[in-house]
Amino acid sequence: MTDIVRVEELYKTYEGGVTALDGVTAGFAAGSFTAVMGPSGSGKSTLLQCAAGLDRPTGGRVFIDGTELTATKDTPMTKFRRTRVGFVFQDYNLLPSLTVEQNTVLSLRLAGRRPDRTRVHAVLDRLGLGDRLHELPERLSGGQRQRVAVARALVTEPAVIFADEPTGALDLRSAREVLTLLRSIVHDHGRTVVMVTHDPVAAAYADSVVFLADGRLAGSLRAPTADAVAERLAHLGDRVGGVLA
Amino acid sequence: MIAVALRNLRHRPGGFIATFLSAFLGAALIMAFAALLDTASGLSAAEGNDSLVTTAMVGGGWCLVIVAFAVTSTLSLAVRQRSEQIALLRRAGATGPQIRRMVVGEALAVALLASAIAVPAGWLLGRVLVSLLKDTGQVVAAVSPGFGGIALALGFGVTLLGSFAAGLATARRILASSSRRERPRLRRLGAVLFLLIGANCAVLTATLMDGKGIDAMQTAGQAGIWASIGLALLAPELLRLVTVVLGPLVRVFGVAGDLAVTGVHSRTRQLASAVMPVLLFTGIATGTVYMQGIEDRAAEGQIQPEYAQDIQTLNYVVVGMITLFVAIMLVNTLVAATTHRRREFAQQRLAGATTGQVLAMVSLEGVLITVTGVLGGLAASMFTILPFGSARADQIWPSESPWAFAIVACSAAVLTAFATIQTTSRTVRGPATTAVRA
Repeated sequence: MTDIVRVEELYKTYEGGVTALDGVTAGFAAGSFTAVMGPSGSGKSTLLQCAAGLDRPTGGRVFIDGTELTATKDTPMTKFRRTRVGFVFQDYNLLPSLTVEQNTVLSLRLAGRRPDRTRVHAVLDRLGLGDRLHELPERLSGGQRQRVAVARALVTEPAVIFADEPTGALDLRSAREVLTLLRSIVHDHGRTVVMVTHDPVAAAYADSVVFLADGRLAGSLRAPTADAVAERLAHLGDRVGGVLA
Repeated sequence: MIAVALRNLRHRPGGFIATFLSAFLGAALIMAFAALLDTASGLSAAEGNDSLVTTAMVGGGWCLVIVAFAVTSTLSLAVRQRSEQIALLRRAGATGPQIRRMVVGEALAVALLASAIAVPAGWLLGRVLVSLLKDTGQVVAAVSPGFGGIALALGFGVTLLGSFAAGLATARRILASSSRRERPRLRRLGAVLFLLIGANCAVLTATLMDGKGIDAMQTAGQAGIWASIGLALLAPELLRLVTVVLGPLVRVFGVAGDLAVTGVHSRTRQLASAVMPVLLFTGIATGTVYMQGIEDRAAEGQIQPEYAQDIQTLNYVVVGMITLFVAIMLVNTLVAATTHRRREFAQQRLAGATTGQVLAMVSLEGVLITVTGVLGGLAASMFTILPFGSARADQIWPSESPWAFAIVACSAAVLTAFATIQTTSRTVRGPATTAVRA
């Protein structure tokens, strides 16, 4: 399998000398669902932002869909991103003044592409939002909002979808729905999803889990179960000699 | 909490610049007019006591209104911009009265500083006023301009009291937080009332003041001011109307245009607050400049009353003063309203918008704001221009060139564009991922 996303020797140091990424090399295969896990401050969100072209790493290279991200300015980075990457965030990031349908096609339209209405409606139908096209986000539940965000990511047909704590603000049932949805777009529709989470139950929906601690890779797990993930997470500190004894 | 207030000022003085400027200008003007009262004390009526007192009361009264308005508006925006800090204080256990003391303390400290620095400016302006009155013979030449207890007491007193009231109003607004709802009926009622007063003054100008020469300015000038205030209160409705009419044209610009139009519809109230200063400025400036133009043309070859020259100067001074205050208010309103949208801009960028697209959207909103304000102001200025033309020159439509209006409209457009684009590009700097969490 080819890697849709590949990061090599990624370093990220913030102003003030905090090292968030300390030489991370990793690949995410096409058609895979990977969870990135680690304790707070392990660098998992930074890894996602650098890999997705939302932030510039201090050092290292990022490849998405075979093309290296070399842009450093905001506008070229945005243009690189919007043809290749879809996003799902913890707080949905839907625009409150736009309807479900308008939010869904926003990314397409910003990229200057004409949305195919029948396809957009088909995607929204499949996500169970077919009858809420003209609703504003404030009238939707958290789970529904997150599904709109997933729909927005899907309609641009990106090479990869990055999800940053997509269930962080959801109740258990909605979280399960969204995770099942993410898994189905990978397994049934061949998309690639990279998800950052701190919840072992959410991570168990992925095909594999990559662990991060103190900005470095700290192992991985195939076909994870929630218990196995929690167990590994609890002992991450031992391996890298961190504060956890 | 007073200690916190002082620390806030020292920590982020930039946030209070607009408040400081309004308070400073206000204090200087009030001191200048109040100094006339100092000059008048001890003078007899023959020496010009009445003229001094009247000028002081009229000029000072207008200053008071403008200052109270400007300080409240700048202060409430300066404080609202820090809603995060106030939320933090509340979580740390600050009670409502403590927050109020902090906000009022900040307001008073700024006002005290502004008044103190305004003393020399007020002294100078006061002398200019007295010499103006001497030139016109309203005050005898032997009078020496005074600047004493009354100027200082009124200058400090009014500025401090105004700021205190503004601080209280602001604090109440913060503490009531989101529960504050717009009351369109009250606002519309006020608008109708002001428009009626304006129309009344306009009718008086065209009938009662017909043939009274330059004296018709008294009612004509007021007509435009009242109408401007009335239309400014209708800013949300006017903005919506303009957006409906211009919507198809704006949408030609693609997704940025679409976002601008939906933005206006969902955030009419915030954007309308920027329409108000544009409208007031255009209305009062256009009205006054054309009124003076009509007067100048009508007075050619006629024997002028000795104070005509003086009124001309005063008219331009009023236009200048209002321009200055409105510029401060406009920039301040737009800066605060735009900074507030940091998260919205970040969300758009995460959805794939380039900063250029965000700027395009904001610029198109700015166009809608400017068009609404300029058209509304033009309409309001007609309350001054048409009746005055009819009363003074027997000619309803002025023969003056439209260039003066073009200059007023351009100034409004430039101010709006400068404030929005400048703030937006500063707001969208830095990574969107951090901005969206703010």
